[in-house]
Amino acid sequence: MVRSYIPKSYGEALDILSKGDLTIMAGGTDLMVKKRNRAGLLPSFQKDVLFLSGIKELSYINKENSSVRIGSMTTLEEILYSKQIPSLLREAAAIMASPGIRHTATLGGNIGNASPAGDTLPVLYLYNAMIIIESKRQTREVPIEEFITGPGRTTFGPGELIKEIVLEEAKFNVLYYKKIGGRKTDAISKVSFAAGAFARNGIVEDIRMAFGAVSPRVARDRGIEDSIKGTPAAGILDLAEEIRNGYGNIINPIDDQRSNAKYRKKCCMNMIDDFLGKVFAEQ
Amino acid sequence: MSDISKSIPKSDSAGKIAGETIYIGDMVLDDMLHAMTLRSVHAKARIKSIRLPEMPEGYFIVDHRDIPGDNCVNIIFDDMPVFADGKVNYIGEPILLAAGPKRKKVKEIIDSIEVEYEPSEPVFGYSKSVVHHEFEKGDAASVFCKAERIIKGSYSTGYQEHIYMEPQGVIGLYEDNKTTVIGSMQCPYYIKNAVVRTLGTGQENVRVIQAATGGAFGGKEEFPSLMGCQAAVAANKTGKPIKLIYERTEDIETTTKRHPSRIDFEAAAGEDGSIEALRVRVFLDSGAYIGLSGVVLQRAMIAASGVYTISNLSVSGDVYETNTVPNGAFRGFGAPQMFFAIEMFIHHFAIETGQDPLALRKRHLASMGDPTSTGGTFRDPIIMGDMIQKAIDMSGYDEKIAEYSKPGDHRGIGMSWVLHGCGFTGSGEQKHIKAVVRLRKEKDDMVTILAANTEMGQGAMTTLRKIAAGVLGIPIEKVIYNNPDTDLVPDSGPTVASRTVMIVGGLIARAARQLKEKWVPGKEILVEERYRQPDYIEWDEDKLRGDAYPAYSWGVNVVEVEVSPVTYEVDLKGIWAVYDIGKAIDERIIIGQAEGGLSQGISYGMTEVMECREGRIQQRNMTDYIIPTAGDCIPMEIVIMDNPYPLGPYGAKGAGELPLVGGAPAVALAIENAIGKRIDRIPATPEYIMELMENG
Ligand SMILES: Cc1cc2nc3c(=O)[nH]c(=O)nc-3n(C[C@H](O)[C@H](O)[C@H](O)COP(=O)(O)OP(=O)(O)OC[C@H]3O[C@@H](n4cnc5c(N)ncnc54)[C@H](O)[C@@H]3O)c2cc1C
Repeated sequence: MVRSYIPKSYGEALDILSKGDLTIMAGGTDLMVKKRNRAGLLPSFQKDVLFLSGIKELSYINKENSSVRIGSMTTLEEILYSKQIPSLLREAAAIMASPGIRHTATLGGNIGNASPAGDTLPVLYLYNAMIIIESKRQTREVPIEEFITGPGRTTFGPGELIKEIVLEEAKFNVLYYKKIGGRKTDAISKVSFAAGAFARNGIVEDIRMAFGAVSPRVARDRGIEDSIKGTPAAGILDLAEEIRNGYGNIINPIDDQRSNAKYRKKCCMNMIDDFLGKVFAEQ
Repeated sequence: MSDISKSIPKSDSAGKIAGETIYIGDMVLDDMLHAMTLRSVHAKARIKSIRLPEMPEGYFIVDHRDIPGDNCVNIIFDDMPVFADGKVNYIGEPILLAAGPKRKKVKEIIDSIEVEYEPSEPVFGYSKSVVHHEFEKGDAASVFCKAERIIKGSYSTGYQEHIYMEPQGVIGLYEDNKTTVIGSMQCPYYIKNAVVRTLGTGQENVRVIQAATGGAFGGKEEFPSLMGCQAAVAANKTGKPIKLIYERTEDIETTTKRHPSRIDFEAAAGEDGSIEALRVRVFLDSGAYIGLSGVVLQRAMIAASGVYTISNLSVSGDVYETNTVPNGAFRGFGAPQMFFAIEMFIHHFAIETGQDPLALRKRHLASMGDPTSTGGTFRDPIIMGDMIQKAIDMSGYDEKIAEYSKPGDHRGIGMSWVLHGCGFTGSGEQKHIKAVVRLRKEKDDMVTILAANTEMGQGAMTTLRKIAAGVLGIPIEKVIYNNPDTDLVPDSGPTVASRTVMIVGGLIARAARQLKEKWVPGKEILVEERYRQPDYIEWDEDKLRGDAYPAYSWGVNVVEVEVSPVTYEVDLKGIWAVYDIGKAIDERIIIGQAEGGLSQGISYGMTEVMECREGRIQQRNMTDYIIPTAGDCIPMEIVIMDNPYPLGPYGAKGAGELPLVGGAPAVALAIENAIGKRIDRIPATPEYIMELMENG
């Protein structure tokens, strides 16, 4: 028999977590699908369940100095309508799921689910998001790139939960986000792409690109980014082939029931070109 | 009464909106047992042994040995067993049911049954023909002999899954020597006949009642007969009500779908650029059992020349058996495959022979008095000329096609012309269906329509009541239409083939006229009408010659798209349609049919991907089998013409299937126009568009 815990406060949640091995449920929009059973039967949870979504203390969006701190139980709908949130993340939220799901699905859940197709993830990578993980005993900060280790795999320890997500300030004057799904709403990404660049006086000072759903984890390569930084925007299209080849090595999509590897890769290459074209235009 | 077309609230809406409507899944009967199906995991195998777990008290296994009559589901062609007997022919084929009071326990029983199989080589693809038809018009062979130029084309279409909102479900019960099946269905008498046969019992011992039905699209035409027979056998064995409800995934994987097809054309070009002769070959994949595939093939073949008059025609077609889930009825019934193919081909023919496609199509467009593909006659006025002009004006087709055809422009516009034969093919109504309807007036002057046709969301109940009330000249509230119960209503035939309003509605109108003449207030009166085929209809069922349908509905569909050169995704930009369905009995219901049907047709053409690999369906849930959401739909502009058909009630013809039929070719032609590359198959997915744009 599975037990359900509905804590009244964040402190109580940490207490409960410290005492046993529990499944954390936020909005449940991933979990309830994963644990679904035949109609008329209870979902098949093996462990006791801790319900986190009612914890008000974990639902907030605060702009602090230059960074944005987002409580893990903040829903996608709240993110979509918050002026504090960088527009790229709002754009990602806007094409996620559908209104009903967005009202319960949380940012923490999208990270905890750690799907390579999680639609907020490429944007979080772009903003060097730090994941604040807490247990009764300690708090740690882990960059999202290290926190997610593979499809559905994270570096969680016992008794830990995601408390908040911190987005570093980033200055971009070129922004790009595209999600390719099988339809306009309620679709799992075949590919997604988030990118940002900052060009000043004709020089590309910053440039970042992240790809979703085309490798076991979101793909971002700081080496390639660094190699572009400092080059003139006017010359960026000359680098396009080299840049594409670089990403070609780290993007390894698969054939599955939603699309095929060739298409996914080709779209990534096209989106790189499209984005570079926008950077070029910004010179 | 004012114009019959003026919309009234739909009879079934209030209950559905309030959540009060009781569906089969909501019904709980005393002592009811839940049943689940054990299914084959092999595409083709012999069953060597089945090891059952120890059965707890009150739990049952039901299989082929429990069938008192024929182990065969009664569907036109008798090849599908109710329960597998010693062999299986597709992944998902039902072997037995486990039933009992607790669903959890039943599932445990199913999960612990061990089946030992001896697999053998399955058959896939178009290799094993099990049905063949052919027909000729004129003398295609000699035209081809002399032809200077022959143009060819080959087109293929994929599966389509119905995704009715409510998955399949039935309850079977046995009381006092009588077996009753209640369920979500289109055709109560199909199920009744099937159950009578499987139980080996008399007509009087079987009763079928339609429960509120949450969508069907043809998927609840013949398939529920299988479940009905299984539940009936189980109820007979256990003496208890048996509830058999499918999960969405189970439903997608194991119920019928639209037949995948390949259609090949050869056309002989005349000196003036016209199509002098057309040779057509149709390949349909029936899956593991033929069922009604032969009839689907006929409808596809009869549509071989589309809306065009082509003097010399040679059409042949085959149904191929494969070790995959059986395919069956789906809105359009073979016509969507053929209309996609012929509409693409006539374009490709025009382009290859250096002509303007629109001009060529207009030249061949059928007009009243022309012979049909099977040598019958288009007897009623054809107003396609007007309809095409309307569609062109509304959509700006002429200007747009000129502009979008410029290289580098990724916008596109496409137009399809379709017809749909209303009612059963040939003499089906007269020879096989023999529809009967009755009207019963009570002492309180309320009138009940006694017919077996079903409301499944499409508006049949409202429309049929409107016809009766209109003819009788009484308020609609005085006319009752209940979900059919075969113990109470005569067999007015199935709710399929766009026949309900035209044929059954026609009988109801006649019965209402009869009742009106006999009307005496305060007196009970019963009247009856039977279907009579118009005298001029002649049809040779074996040779496929003569008038294939009593009447035709017509449609023009225009779709405008923009294709992204970055992601190859298709954005719908505009949708326009003009339909001639005789007369709309209720405008809003017709617009609902038009918008829903056209959306379903467009997504058949560009979105809905279902693949079968080694006999296993790959897209098994609604995450992976993509149908459009509200977010994918755009406003449509739809015009309904008035062109009353003399034998239809108030002039109505069929409307349910027509709008679906032209969706795929319209969107495929639009995409073709946008990318400047020829499209030969649907769905035209972004993956396919990428191949075309990158490789030509
Ligand atoms: C119809 C539908 C459409 C969808 N569309 C999209 C889409 O377009 N894009 C997309 O990316 N996703 C989509 N999803 C998936 C899902 O909605 C998102 O991933 C969502 O962000 C999950 O959040 P949740 O709060 O519901 O997570 P839950 O299901 O509650 O949890 C997800 C996982 O994260 C863990 N978890 C949650 N919160 C914490 C925490 N604070 N600490 C530690 N672990 C935690 C849980 O244990 C679980 O493993 C869709 C889902 C559905 C049902």
